[in-house]
Amino acid sequence: MTVSQISVFANSRPGHMSRVLALFEEAGVSVRGFSAADTGEYGILRFVVDRPEAALATLKEAGCACTVTPVLCLKLEDTPGELLRVIGVLARCGINVVYCYSMISTYIVLSVTDTEQARDLLAAEPVEMISQDDIARYIAERDGKEA
Amino acid sequence: MVDAANFDVTAKGGALAAAAAGRFDALPVYKPEIECASREEIRAVQLAKLKETVAYAYERVPYYREKMDEMGVAPADIQTLDDVCRLPFTDKAVLRDTFPFGLFAVPMNEIRELHSSSGTTGKPVVVGYTEDDMDMWSECIARLVQMAGVVPGDVAQMAFGYGMFTGGFGLHYGLQRLGCAMIPAGSGNTERHIQMIEDYGTTVLVATPSYAMHICEVGEAMGYDWGASPLRVGLFGGEPCPPGLKAEIERRMHIVCTDNYGLTEVMGPGVSGECLAERFQQHIAEDHFLWEVVDPVTGEPVGEGEVGELVLTPLGKQGIPVLRYRTHDLTAVHTEPCACGRTLARMDKVRSRSDDMLIIRGTNVFPSQIEDVLTGIEEVTPHYHIIVRTKGGMDELVVETELRPEAFSDSFESMDALRARIVEKLKSTLLVAPTVRLVEPGGIERAVGKAKHVDDQRVK
Repeated sequence: MTVSQISVFANSRPGHMSRVLALFEEAGVSVRGFSAADTGEYGILRFVVDRPEAALATLKEAGCACTVTPVLCLKLEDTPGELLRVIGVLARCGINVVYCYSMISTYIVLSVTDTEQARDLLAAEPVEMISQDDIARYIAERDGKEA
Repeated sequence: MVDAANFDVTAKGGALAAAAAGRFDALPVYKPEIECASREEIRAVQLAKLKETVAYAYERVPYYREKMDEMGVAPADIQTLDDVCRLPFTDKAVLRDTFPFGLFAVPMNEIRELHSSSGTTGKPVVVGYTEDDMDMWSECIARLVQMAGVVPGDVAQMAFGYGMFTGGFGLHYGLQRLGCAMIPAGSGNTERHIQMIEDYGTTVLVATPSYAMHICEVGEAMGYDWGASPLRVGLFGGEPCPPGLKAEIERRMHIVCTDNYGLTEVMGPGVSGECLAERFQQHIAEDHFLWEVVDPVTGEPVGEGEVGELVLTPLGKQGIPVLRYRTHDLTAVHTEPCACGRTLARMDKVRSRSDDMLIIRGTNVFPSQIEDVLTGIEEVTPHYHIIVRTKGGMDELVVETELRPEAFSDSFESMDALRARIVEKLKSTLLVAPTVRLVEPGGIERAVGKAKHVDDQRVK
């Protein structure tokens, strides 16, 4: 069982990822997971969506360089050692993980050109920003509840 | 037995089919008595007109009289065509320094039209045409559009801007001279261009090659079927036309495309044009232009068929009788007869200019070389952009090239391998290692006017 991942070639410049996302919105495609990796000048945007055929058609029509790749999608329990357990299965068989990202994008991590400015901009928007302390506190609280 | 009549050049693809079959008798020639005359006849016409032109310039233009007196040469000294090298050169600076009317040989009441160059590299150059000049210009254009497969009765749509640029009105008058209906649409509004092609049954499109490509792409995106379109011929100009781009437009728009050569300072478009037998060369209107090919540094003539700078003397031009204009365009000229039946000399298409040569870390690099390499790589489109800058005290050559959508794979490894392959190919041709950037499809700007391919950011 695989899912169809949509990959898009994009220059690493402001507006290029948002253009792709706007095309998805226009086509009524919902992004369920994504990753954006770059080489400094260009990057590959990778998406798992609800309707891959519709996503691909709309991107092609807009002239984007894009392709479909079959990938594996796993649901992990949020318990210590779970990631190691699953990746370990592949490692023992000599299978390399070329790239890996997590889905259901309610918590996202961004690396941007101007971190301070981006932080200030987003602080003024109705979106919750997570601190390192928040992450530590979440784990501590969860473990506390379980204990 | 194949009959010339079997090739209908007014049908889509007919002109190319006739050319492919070698049946150039099916393709009409506008003025065979001069276009297909013997070399001796052509040279005799040139000599008679050169003598008149030199006497006219000497008599009417103080600049030329002073210059020739200074050099100790009189109009009567011009006895053979080779004597042309005794005359002074003219370059763009002379036209600028005498701006606006210093080189005009007639009063303004004999001028029927003014045009000027775009002035992108300095003050504009203004030129004036008398009624006879306009007549000669229209005829030169009529000849070259017929060479490209246009026939009387064609419907021609102009996608050049009109204005002071010579290309718009030049092609307009010449197409009308041949007997075509003109649609003066002008540049821009691409969707409307496509709508007009369909509504008015346009058979001929006049455009820059990069704008034609844009029209093609917009049409495809609109779902317009170029294969079923009435459009049959593309006449390109205004900027150099890379062979790869031309071939791609021919394939995608299902038309035959040619380009012509000319420059405002000697007339405008129409100096030479491409026939369907030699797609990389252009026939010079030799009865109206005397050509020389010289070493760009010494100004001395180069050997027959060798590459050098093209120097042009318009013959019989009345408004501005320019002598020996230095075009800065590098080419070679060939005088053997052409398969199309014309005997007019052919110049290799201008791929580089003596002044657009880039010197990168001491090595001479021409943008045309970069273009040729990229044209040979199927994963990228013919669109490119060159940036030259200083990095760490050294010249850096950056070549941006557009990825074709179908060449993308979901792997940095294969994208990097492609980039490394392009770097390697460029390096082996240029002898300079460039930095190559892969750009998204459509990411390189399509220029409506002259496509600007080079951005030299080095501090001069």
